[in-house]
Amino acid sequence: MTVEASTLDIPVAVAPAGMRRRVLRRILRNPLAVTGLVVVCVAALLAIFAQFVAPFPYDQVNFNEPLRPPSGTHWFGTDSFGRDQFSRAVYGLRASVLVGLLSVVFSLTIGVPFGLFAGFYGVLDPVVSRLTDTLLAFPFLVLAVGLAAILGPSLTTAVIAIGVAQIPGVVRVTRSETLRLRGMDFVAAAVAGGAGDAVLLRRHILPNATNALIVQATVAVPGAIIGEAVLSFLGLGVRPPTSSLGIMLADAQTFVRDGPWMAVFPGLTIVVLALALNLLGDGLRDALDPRESRSA
Amino acid sequence: MSRYVLRRLLESAVTLILATIVVFIGIRALPGDPARTLAGEESDPATLAAIRSSYGLDQPLPVQYLRYVQKAATGDLGRSPRTGLEVADSIGHALPVTLQLSAFALLIAVLIGIGAGVVAAVRRRKPAEWAANGVALLGLSVPNFWLGQMLILWLAIAYPVFPASGFVSFFDDPAQSVRHLLLPALVLGSGLAAIVMRQTRSAMLEALTADYVRTARAKGLGSAQVVLGHALRNSLIVVVTIVGLQLGALISGAVVTEQLFVLPGFGKLTIDAVFTRDYPMIQGVVLVTATAYILINLIVDLLYSVIDPRIRVGGTAL
Repeated sequence: MTVEASTLDIPVAVAPAGMRRRVLRRILRNPLAVTGLVVVCVAALLAIFAQFVAPFPYDQVNFNEPLRPPSGTHWFGTDSFGRDQFSRAVYGLRASVLVGLLSVVFSLTIGVPFGLFAGFYGVLDPVVSRLTDTLLAFPFLVLAVGLAAILGPSLTTAVIAIGVAQIPGVVRVTRSETLRLRGMDFVAAAVAGGAGDAVLLRRHILPNATNALIVQATVAVPGAIIGEAVLSFLGLGVRPPTSSLGIMLADAQTFVRDGPWMAVFPGLTIVVLALALNLLGDGLRDALDPRESRSA
Repeated sequence: MSRYVLRRLLESAVTLILATIVVFIGIRALPGDPARTLAGEESDPATLAAIRSSYGLDQPLPVQYLRYVQKAATGDLGRSPRTGLEVADSIGHALPVTLQLSAFALLIAVLIGIGAGVVAAVRRRKPAEWAANGVALLGLSVPNFWLGQMLILWLAIAYPVFPASGFVSFFDDPAQSVRHLLLPALVLGSGLAAIVMRQTRSAMLEALTADYVRTARAKGLGSAQVVLGHALRNSLIVVVTIVGLQLGALISGAVVTEQLFVLPGFGKLTIDAVFTRDYPMIQGVVLVTATAYILINLIVDLLYSVIDPRIRVGGTAL
């Protein structure tokens, strides 16, 4: 054979543009998924443009108006310092979205290579399996507690704790996809064409594993956002005066009787965002992988 | 059978050793002198020296590690500089609270989850299925501590039916115990209930189209008997696995729930330890959790192989 492996036209079985359009069309036909998508986009815009959206600075104290119930001026009411709760929620959304995205990126960056190697090289499989088992032995919050003890509570701590807790899931999905794809004909064809391991993993296996990884990531984001709220609620994540939906809920604890709205609105914000992400995730899963579909 | 059990035992042992190494290194990864961290902020040189020799901090790391494991294996987890109590004793007092809470939550999650899952599968494309699906989706999207806050607001403050905090052991006063633990257990079990429901539903949907169910129907069994005796029985295997996998989430959830309802359990111990920088306590709590998690997973796996013989024959599953 005189042709070089890289120029050889082996069918790479990557989702072509046509298939991507089909996936998009499937999502757009699903009203629940569209609702989720719209809410997620709105939330992302609010988070990005928080300083233009929020009617008040998130840390503006106003002792003349403490614990005011929701009104035309203060949509979500005010807290014990008279801070506008709506503005704080919008900024809190920024922390949620940031931690949600960064932790998933973190877990993918570490989990995907490990999963690829474990699935591709049988020798490494038991080693990687033991490592992921060890990680799993530390429940997310216990892990966060340990990290907060070492690093101190911060947004970074939250990202690392949530990200690390999600690594085993990513490794498992990547590994099983790699195992499945490794046995496929187009991979055998690529090997016959002289492709090296690096080419196989990067050009043939990883692109075909993306669907499963996208599904895994969309499932992980709402979990990460709730995780951020939990950590900040416990004081292990984002620290005041920065606003976070979890911190708002922690502040609300003291004023459950006098200012119940302090607990209601930040919580509803998280629920709406997580619900939208879950709806979008379900829609994506149905569109990308009809076999795993809920309505199968 | 014995080969599978042996392999799982060996795997668990390796995982446990790795976990102890992580915990051991964790406290040494702290910036500064570990003796000072262990002793607390204000401590004189004599105390530091005593701690150094009692923790063997003057020894090489592998020796230190072996000593640490040796002590931990005999139940010696050190002493908390904050409370002056043995870490193992404190954990021993807190554990029953968390175990009772978790058991109650697990019961609620399994009852609601399986019930709703069966209804959703049997009543396909009917309002009952949509309702069950919707509630499950909500269960996955509502942070459990917020659900707790709302329940306290509603059922402990607006309509004081349940106490907002406090713990009574089930073995001292069952009625009061249930009254105190119902809200926390509901909060802790809600997320798990949603997951169990989804899994039960999909396992049931698959089982209901299986040949043995058609055979059962064909031989004239009533539909309750077909659904509960045949389809559900086979779907339960999936539920056992899911419950095993979700154990970590249950432990994490217990930390938050105990904090919210001021229950003197394991989770509260953990959080208090972090905020008072009580390192021996943190180390002990993390080690006990990891060990418990590994052991329970081992038990779930072994149970699973008893329920479904194909597992121990197949050996490696993908």
